[in-house]
Amino acid sequence: MAPFDLLSPRTVEEALATIRSYPADEVAVLAGGTDLLLDLDGERSAPRAVVSLRRLPWRTLGWNGPALTIGSTLPLRALETDPDLKRRLPALHEAVRAVGGVALRNRATLGGNLGRAAPASDLIPVLLVLDAEVELVGPGGARTMSVDQFVHGSRKTELGRAELIRSVRIPEARPSAYLWQRVRPANDISQLSVAVAYAPQDRSWRVALGGIPPRPVRVPEAEGVLVGTRPSIEAVKNAADRAAAHASLVTDRRASDDYRRRIAGVLLARAVRSAAARGEASP
Amino acid sequence: MTPSRLSLSVNRRPRSIEDVPGEERLLDTLRWRLGLKGTKEGCRTGGCGACAVLVDGSCALSCLTLSHEVEGAEITTIEGVADDPVGRSVQEAFRDAGALQCGYCTPGFIVTLTGLLKEEGRSTTAEHLLSELGENLCRCTGYVAIVRAVETVHRRKH
Repeated sequence: MAPFDLLSPRTVEEALATIRSYPADEVAVLAGGTDLLLDLDGERSAPRAVVSLRRLPWRTLGWNGPALTIGSTLPLRALETDPDLKRRLPALHEAVRAVGGVALRNRATLGGNLGRAAPASDLIPVLLVLDAEVELVGPGGARTMSVDQFVHGSRKTELGRAELIRSVRIPEARPSAYLWQRVRPANDISQLSVAVAYAPQDRSWRVALGGIPPRPVRVPEAEGVLVGTRPSIEAVKNAADRAAAHASLVTDRRASDDYRRRIAGVLLARAVRSAAARGEASP
Repeated sequence: MTPSRLSLSVNRRPRSIEDVPGEERLLDTLRWRLGLKGTKEGCRTGGCGACAVLVDGSCALSCLTLSHEVEGAEITTIEGVADDPVGRSVQEAFRDAGALQCGYCTPGFIVTLTGLLKEEGRSTTAEHLLSELGENLCRCTGYVAIVRAVETVHRRKH
């Protein structure tokens, strides 16, 4: 790893000023570090300075009625062990548990996962179907946007120069599920994943696919045919076919497009059934 | 600037180390500055679990942790794990089950399992503990004995 200065500002203002004091390609932002350090070690990037967010007061988790606000530097393990998460947002619980092992989740953060925007992120597909909003803070103040607007592509986001992710807000509890396919269940990343959620407010389903370059995506064609809290077998099959047909699935070293297409249909059907059963169990 | 001094508590002993560079990992500080070679370097990319240590009681991968990031924390390595009754019971179970071949992965397994048991207490199941150890690799493939050790720890706790 090339040498760098490690800076740990105590306030947001100080953090933003520190980042701005370096040219953009000479500074990196560190949250949990479980992904960034791999880049620094491979010297894919070699910043002069790394700005740690560890002293900022963002390791927070708060339920406000049905809404959940997660501070960007909260370790994923703290999210996973929240007593209400599994019941209210089951897909998010499943996605968090899909990230590495417990020792990794004790340091990895939701803000880091979003900001790094890996194509195979397990969290982004779920944030998409939960209509999560990202709050950014920068020199011009704060701004909020959907996760769909925030993630531009593989490793590309809406984050501007000297801008940081402060929190992620999920508006309501949703019956939901997240399923993934990997060569091995551990020490691997997803070849394909499916997140689904039923939104009680507008009585409609959300479907997203992950594990596919360049980024996790919603699949509106599949969402449109899922009707009601417990869609029929025919509707689920139809949605699965549409997801497989409409998503742009690619062949890369992890899987072929044909394999991904088949898996997408299978996982989508299972995920809808799982989410529907959860909806009935806790109306 | 990177702080010139790093203060930590390692196995309940306060340590103050000068001139630790910003890019230094906790794994290297423990092994090369403090001589605690029980913590192993396996993959150095967060994929094998051999470098696990406890940071304030929770397991973490020391290869993916910059040393200055845990300034002021209480670090427990495999050398200190037996000072804790939970850690001692895990060590004894691995010994009794013969759950090691070359031994390289053993510190990571014992530390990770100790952290899990301390965190999750009596409520946890043996199946859950085993699934949480999925990211710890043993390249001798001595998993059968490791599974037996985990079941032994779990049984003795209850």
